[in-house]
Amino acid sequence: MSVEEALEYIKLHQQGVLQSDLWKALSIDSRKCSRIVAKLLKDELITREMESVAGIRTYRLYYSPRSNSRRFESLIAINLFEPCAGCIEECTPRHCAKLSEWIFAIAIGNGEGTQLSNSSLAVQ
Amino acid sequence: MMFGRESLAGVEDLIHRAYLNKLVGEEGLRIVDNIPEEEITDERLAEITGISLNTVRRTLYLLYEHRLAKYKRKRDPDSGWLTYLWKICPENFDKALESETKRLIRKLEERMDYEKSNIFYACSEGCARFVFDEASETDFICPFCQGSLEYMENSKVVDTIEKQVKYLEICL
Repeated sequence: MSVEEALEYIKLHQQGVLQSDLWKALSIDSRKCSRIVAKLLKDELITREMESVAGIRTYRLYYSPRSNSRRFESLIAINLFEPCAGCIEECTPRHCAKLSEWIFAIAIGNGEGTQLSNSSLAVQ
Repeated sequence: MMFGRESLAGVEDLIHRAYLNKLVGEEGLRIVDNIPEEEITDERLAEITGISLNTVRRTLYLLYEHRLAKYKRKRDPDSGWLTYLWKICPENFDKALESETKRLIRKLEERMDYEKSNIFYACSEGCARFVFDEASETDFICPFCQGSLEYMENSKVVDTIEKQVKYLEICL
Protein backbone atom coordinates (compact mmCIF):
# COMPACT_ATOMS: atom_id res chain seq x y z
CA MET A 1 0.00 0.00 0.00
CA SER A 2 1.60 3.22 -1.11
CA VAL A 3 1.19 6.83 -0.12
CA GLU A 4 -0.30 7.48 -3.56
CA GLU A 5 -3.01 4.86 -3.10
CA ALA A 6 -3.95 6.29 0.30
CA LEU A 7 -4.11 9.76 -1.22
CA GLU A 8 -6.32 8.48 -4.04
CA TYR A 9 -8.70 6.96 -1.49
CA ILE A 10 -8.90 10.20 0.51
CA LYS A 11 -9.34 12.18 -2.70
CA LEU A 12 -12.37 10.07 -3.66
CA HIS A 13 -14.19 11.00 -0.42
CA GLN A 14 -15.18 14.63 -0.55
CA GLN A 15 -16.74 14.43 2.93
CA GLY A 16 -13.39 13.31 4.34
CA VAL A 17 -12.28 9.92 5.63
CA LEU A 18 -11.84 8.92 9.28
CA GLN A 19 -8.29 7.79 9.89
CA SER A 20 -9.74 4.89 11.90
CA ASP A 21 -11.62 3.80 8.76
CA LEU A 22 -8.77 4.46 6.36
CA TRP A 23 -6.45 1.73 7.58
CA LYS A 24 -9.27 -0.80 7.56
CA ALA A 25 -10.30 0.19 4.05
CA LEU A 26 -6.73 -0.07 2.80
CA SER A 27 -6.06 -3.34 4.64
CA ILE A 28 -3.02 -2.01 6.45
CA ASP A 29 -2.31 -1.73 10.16
CA SER A 30 -2.93 1.50 12.05
CA ARG A 31 0.81 2.18 12.59
CA LYS A 32 1.54 2.07 8.87
CA CYS A 33 -1.51 4.23 8.26
CA SER A 34 -0.21 6.82 10.75
CA ARG A 35 3.12 6.96 8.90
CA ILE A 36 1.36 7.44 5.54
CA VAL A 37 -0.90 10.15 6.98
CA ALA A 38 2.12 11.93 8.51
CA LYS A 39 3.82 11.93 5.10
CA LEU A 40 0.70 13.31 3.35
CA LEU A 41 0.32 16.03 5.99
CA LYS A 42 3.99 16.95 5.66
CA ASP A 43 3.59 17.24 1.88
CA GLU A 44 0.47 19.38 2.44
CA LEU A 45 -1.61 16.99 0.34
CA ILE A 46 -4.22 16.50 3.05
CA THR A 47 -5.60 18.36 6.05
CA ARG A 48 -7.19 16.85 9.17
CA GLU A 49 -9.74 17.69 11.84
CA MET A 50 -10.03 15.98 15.18
CA GLU A 51 -13.22 13.93 15.61
CA SER A 52 -14.53 11.55 18.27
CA VAL A 53 -16.28 8.36 17.24
CA ALA A 54 -17.89 6.30 20.03
CA GLY A 55 -15.66 8.06 22.52
CA ILE A 56 -12.49 7.29 20.59
CA ARG A 57 -10.45 10.19 19.30
CA THR A 58 -9.48 10.05 15.65
CA TYR A 59 -9.03 12.41 12.72
CA ARG A 60 -11.11 13.16 9.66
CA LEU A 61 -8.77 13.50 6.68
CA TYR A 62 -9.50 15.74 3.72
CA TYR A 63 -7.78 15.94 0.36
CA SER A 64 -6.17 19.31 -0.11
CA PRO A 65 -5.06 20.25 -3.62
CA ARG A 66 -1.56 21.62 -3.54
CA SER A 67 -1.14 25.35 -3.35
CA ASN A 68 -0.31 26.83 -6.73
CA SER A 69 3.34 27.20 -5.94
CA ARG A 70 3.75 23.45 -5.40
CA ARG A 71 0.95 21.98 -7.50
CA PHE A 72 2.99 21.21 -10.58
CA GLU A 73 6.30 20.45 -8.93
CA SER A 74 6.24 16.93 -10.38
CA LEU A 75 7.01 18.51 -13.77
CA ILE A 76 10.49 19.14 -12.38
CA ALA A 77 12.47 16.08 -11.44
CA ILE A 78 16.07 16.14 -10.27
CA ASN A 79 16.18 19.81 -11.24
CA LEU A 80 15.18 19.16 -14.86
CA PHE A 81 11.90 20.48 -16.24
CA GLU A 82 10.03 17.82 -18.17
CA PRO A 83 11.35 17.62 -21.72
CA CYS A 84 8.11 17.79 -23.72
CA ALA A 85 7.16 21.38 -22.80
CA GLY A 86 7.87 23.60 -25.78
CA CYS A 87 9.33 20.70 -27.78
CA ILE A 88 8.79 21.08 -31.52
CA GLU A 89 10.54 17.91 -32.63
CA GLU A 90 8.64 14.98 -34.11
CA CYS A 91 7.00 13.22 -31.18
CA THR A 92 8.10 9.60 -30.72
CA PRO A 93 7.76 8.80 -27.00
CA ARG A 94 9.12 5.27 -27.59
CA HIS A 95 12.46 6.49 -28.88
CA CYS A 96 12.66 10.16 -27.92
CA ALA A 97 16.19 10.82 -26.64
CA LYS A 98 15.13 13.77 -24.50
CA LEU A 99 12.35 11.82 -22.83
CA SER A 100 14.73 8.87 -22.29
CA GLU A 101 17.30 11.16 -20.75
CA TRP A 102 14.72 12.57 -18.33
CA ILE A 103 13.38 9.14 -17.33
CA PHE A 104 16.84 7.61 -16.89
CA ALA A 105 18.07 10.65 -14.97
CA ILE A 106 15.18 10.25 -12.52
CA ALA A 107 15.83 6.52 -12.18
CA ILE A 108 19.56 7.10 -11.65
CA GLY A 109 18.88 10.11 -9.41
CA ASN A 110 16.72 7.91 -7.21
CA GLY A 111 19.70 5.63 -6.84
CA GLU A 112 17.84 2.84 -8.53
CA GLY A 113 18.50 3.47 -12.17
CA THR A 114 20.01 1.19 -14.72
CA GLN A 115 23.49 2.38 -15.54
CA LEU A 116 23.49 3.76 -19.05
CA SER A 117 25.91 6.12 -20.65
CA ASN A 118 24.80 9.38 -22.26
CA SER A 119 25.47 7.98 -25.71
CA SER A 120 23.12 5.05 -25.19
CA LEU A 121 20.42 7.43 -23.99
CA ALA A 122 20.82 9.49 -27.11
CA VAL A 123 20.21 6.57 -29.43
CA GLN A 124 17.34 4.82 -27.69
CA MET B 1 19.15 28.27 -14.12
CA MET B 2 17.12 31.21 -12.87
CA PHE B 3 14.25 29.34 -11.24
CA GLY B 4 14.47 31.18 -7.95
CA ARG B 5 14.87 34.74 -9.20
CA GLU B 6 12.27 37.29 -8.29
CA SER B 7 10.42 38.82 -11.20
CA LEU B 8 9.33 42.32 -12.09
CA ALA B 9 6.34 41.08 -14.08
CA GLY B 10 4.61 39.11 -11.36
CA VAL B 11 5.83 35.70 -12.52
CA GLU B 12 7.39 34.75 -9.22
CA ASP B 13 6.24 31.18 -8.80
CA LEU B 14 9.20 28.85 -9.04
CA ILE B 15 7.42 26.32 -11.27
CA HIS B 16 6.05 29.05 -13.55
CA ARG B 17 9.53 30.48 -13.98
CA ALA B 18 10.98 27.04 -14.64
CA TYR B 19 8.28 26.53 -17.29
CA LEU B 20 9.07 29.87 -18.91
CA ASN B 21 12.75 29.02 -18.85
CA LYS B 22 11.95 25.78 -20.68
CA LEU B 23 9.77 27.53 -23.28
CA VAL B 24 11.74 30.67 -24.04
CA GLY B 25 15.15 30.16 -22.41
CA GLU B 26 17.07 32.48 -20.12
CA GLU B 27 17.04 35.36 -22.58
CA GLY B 28 13.28 34.98 -22.96
CA LEU B 29 12.89 34.95 -19.20
CA ARG B 30 14.80 38.22 -19.05
CA ILE B 31 12.34 39.66 -21.57
CA VAL B 32 9.38 38.46 -19.46
CA ASP B 33 10.95 40.00 -16.36
CA ASN B 34 10.93 43.36 -18.10
CA ILE B 35 7.30 43.28 -19.18
CA PRO B 36 5.47 45.63 -16.81
CA GLU B 37 1.93 45.01 -15.58
CA GLU B 38 0.67 47.61 -18.02
CA GLU B 39 1.17 47.07 -21.76
CA ILE B 40 4.45 47.51 -23.58
CA THR B 41 5.54 47.45 -27.22
CA ASP B 42 8.06 44.98 -28.58
CA GLU B 43 10.34 47.85 -29.64
CA ARG B 44 10.38 49.26 -26.10
CA LEU B 45 11.15 45.80 -24.69
CA ALA B 46 14.07 45.43 -27.09
CA GLU B 47 15.30 48.86 -26.01
CA ILE B 48 15.08 48.12 -22.27
CA THR B 49 16.64 44.68 -22.43
CA GLY B 50 19.18 45.27 -25.21
CA ILE B 51 17.94 42.04 -26.81
CA SER B 52 17.37 42.07 -30.57
CA LEU B 53 13.86 42.94 -31.77
CA ASN B 54 13.68 39.61 -33.62
CA THR B 55 14.33 37.65 -30.42
CA VAL B 56 11.84 39.77 -28.48
CA ARG B 57 9.17 39.14 -31.13
CA ARG B 58 9.94 35.42 -31.31
CA THR B 59 9.65 35.17 -27.52
CA LEU B 60 6.38 37.10 -27.42
CA TYR B 61 4.82 34.96 -30.17
CA LEU B 62 5.93 31.78 -28.40
CA LEU B 63 4.29 33.01 -25.21
CA TYR B 64 1.20 33.99 -27.20
CA GLU B 65 0.98 30.47 -28.72
CA HIS B 66 0.89 29.07 -25.19
CA ARG B 67 -1.68 31.73 -24.11
CA LEU B 68 0.85 33.16 -21.67
CA ALA B 69 0.90 36.57 -23.33
CA LYS B 70 -1.66 38.63 -25.19
CA TYR B 71 -1.54 41.72 -27.38
CA LYS B 72 -3.72 44.61 -28.38
CA ARG B 73 -3.34 46.36 -31.73
CA LYS B 74 -3.41 50.11 -31.87
CA ARG B 75 -3.30 52.16 -35.07
CA ASP B 76 -1.32 55.37 -35.10
CA PRO B 77 -3.80 57.99 -36.41
CA ASP B 78 -1.06 59.94 -38.21
CA SER B 79 1.07 57.26 -39.83
CA GLY B 80 -1.59 54.53 -40.01
CA TRP B 81 1.00 52.08 -38.62
CA LEU B 82 -0.13 49.33 -36.29
CA THR B 83 1.48 49.11 -32.86
CA TYR B 84 1.28 45.89 -30.84
CA LEU B 85 0.92 46.34 -27.08
CA TRP B 86 1.89 43.25 -25.13
CA LYS B 87 0.95 41.94 -21.70
CA ILE B 88 1.75 38.76 -19.78
CA CYS B 89 -1.21 36.57 -18.69
CA PRO B 90 -0.17 35.11 -15.32
CA GLU B 91 -3.73 33.84 -14.83
CA ASN B 92 -3.21 31.30 -17.64
CA PHE B 93 -0.10 29.62 -16.25
CA ASP B 94 -1.86 26.93 -14.24
CA LYS B 95 -4.08 26.02 -17.19
CA ALA B 96 -1.03 25.76 -19.46
CA LEU B 97 0.77 23.57 -16.92
CA GLU B 98 -2.32 21.39 -16.63
CA SER B 99 -2.23 20.79 -20.40
CA GLU B 100 1.50 20.05 -20.27
CA THR B 101 0.91 17.58 -17.43
CA LYS B 102 -1.85 15.76 -19.34
CA ARG B 103 0.30 15.63 -22.46
CA LEU B 104 3.29 14.29 -20.54
CA ILE B 105 1.16 11.60 -18.87
CA ARG B 106 -0.03 10.41 -22.32
CA LYS B 107 3.56 10.21 -23.57
CA LEU B 108 4.86 8.45 -20.47
CA GLU B 109 2.05 5.90 -20.75
CA GLU B 110 2.95 5.21 -24.38
CA ARG B 111 6.58 4.83 -23.34
CA MET B 112 5.62 2.54 -20.47
CA ASP B 113 3.71 0.22 -22.85
CA TYR B 114 6.80 0.07 -25.05
CA GLU B 115 9.10 -0.68 -22.11
CA LYS B 116 6.74 -3.37 -20.82
CA SER B 117 6.21 -5.09 -24.14
CA ASN B 118 9.85 -5.37 -25.21
CA ILE B 119 13.03 -7.07 -24.10
CA PHE B 120 16.10 -4.88 -24.31
CA TYR B 121 19.75 -5.51 -25.01
CA ALA B 122 22.39 -2.85 -24.39
CA CYS B 123 25.87 -2.48 -25.77
CA SER B 124 28.44 -3.39 -23.12
CA GLU B 125 30.37 -0.26 -24.17
CA GLY B 126 27.30 1.92 -23.63
CA CYS B 127 26.68 2.81 -27.32
CA ALA B 128 22.96 2.09 -27.49
CA ARG B 129 20.02 -0.02 -26.42
CA PHE B 130 18.21 -2.37 -28.81
CA VAL B 131 14.99 -4.38 -28.72
CA PHE B 132 15.34 -8.16 -29.01
CA ASP B 133 14.60 -8.33 -32.77
CA GLU B 134 17.21 -5.67 -33.56
CA ALA B 135 19.79 -7.35 -31.33
CA SER B 136 19.23 -10.80 -32.83
CA GLU B 137 19.54 -9.40 -36.38
CA THR B 138 23.09 -8.32 -35.57
CA ASP B 139 23.87 -11.56 -33.68
CA PHE B 140 23.97 -9.57 -30.46
CA ILE B 141 26.94 -7.55 -31.69
CA CYS B 142 26.79 -3.76 -31.41
CA PRO B 143 26.63 -2.29 -34.95
CA PHE B 144 28.49 0.81 -33.74
CA CYS B 145 31.51 -0.62 -31.86
CA GLN B 146 31.28 -4.40 -32.43
CA GLY B 147 31.02 -4.89 -28.66
CA SER B 148 28.64 -7.49 -27.26
CA LEU B 149 24.99 -6.77 -26.56
CA GLU B 150 23.91 -7.84 -23.08
CA TYR B 151 20.42 -8.36 -21.70
CA MET B 152 19.25 -5.17 -19.99
CA GLU B 153 16.83 -5.33 -17.10
CA ASN B 154 14.39 -2.42 -17.47
CA SER B 155 12.09 -2.94 -14.49
CA LYS B 156 13.61 0.10 -12.73
CA VAL B 157 12.80 2.20 -15.78
CA VAL B 158 9.21 0.91 -15.78
CA ASP B 159 8.94 1.61 -12.02
CA THR B 160 10.24 5.14 -12.52
CA ILE B 161 7.72 5.86 -15.28
CA GLU B 162 4.87 4.40 -13.23
CA LYS B 163 5.79 6.53 -10.20
CA GLN B 164 6.19 9.64 -12.32
CA VAL B 165 2.74 9.13 -13.88
CA LYS B 166 1.23 8.78 -10.40
CA TYR B 167 2.92 11.95 -9.18
CA LEU B 168 1.72 13.80 -12.28
CA GLU B 169 -1.86 12.57 -11.85
CA ILE B 170 -1.87 14.05 -8.36
CA CYS B 171 -1.19 17.49 -9.94
CA LEU B 172 -4.50 17.37 -11.83
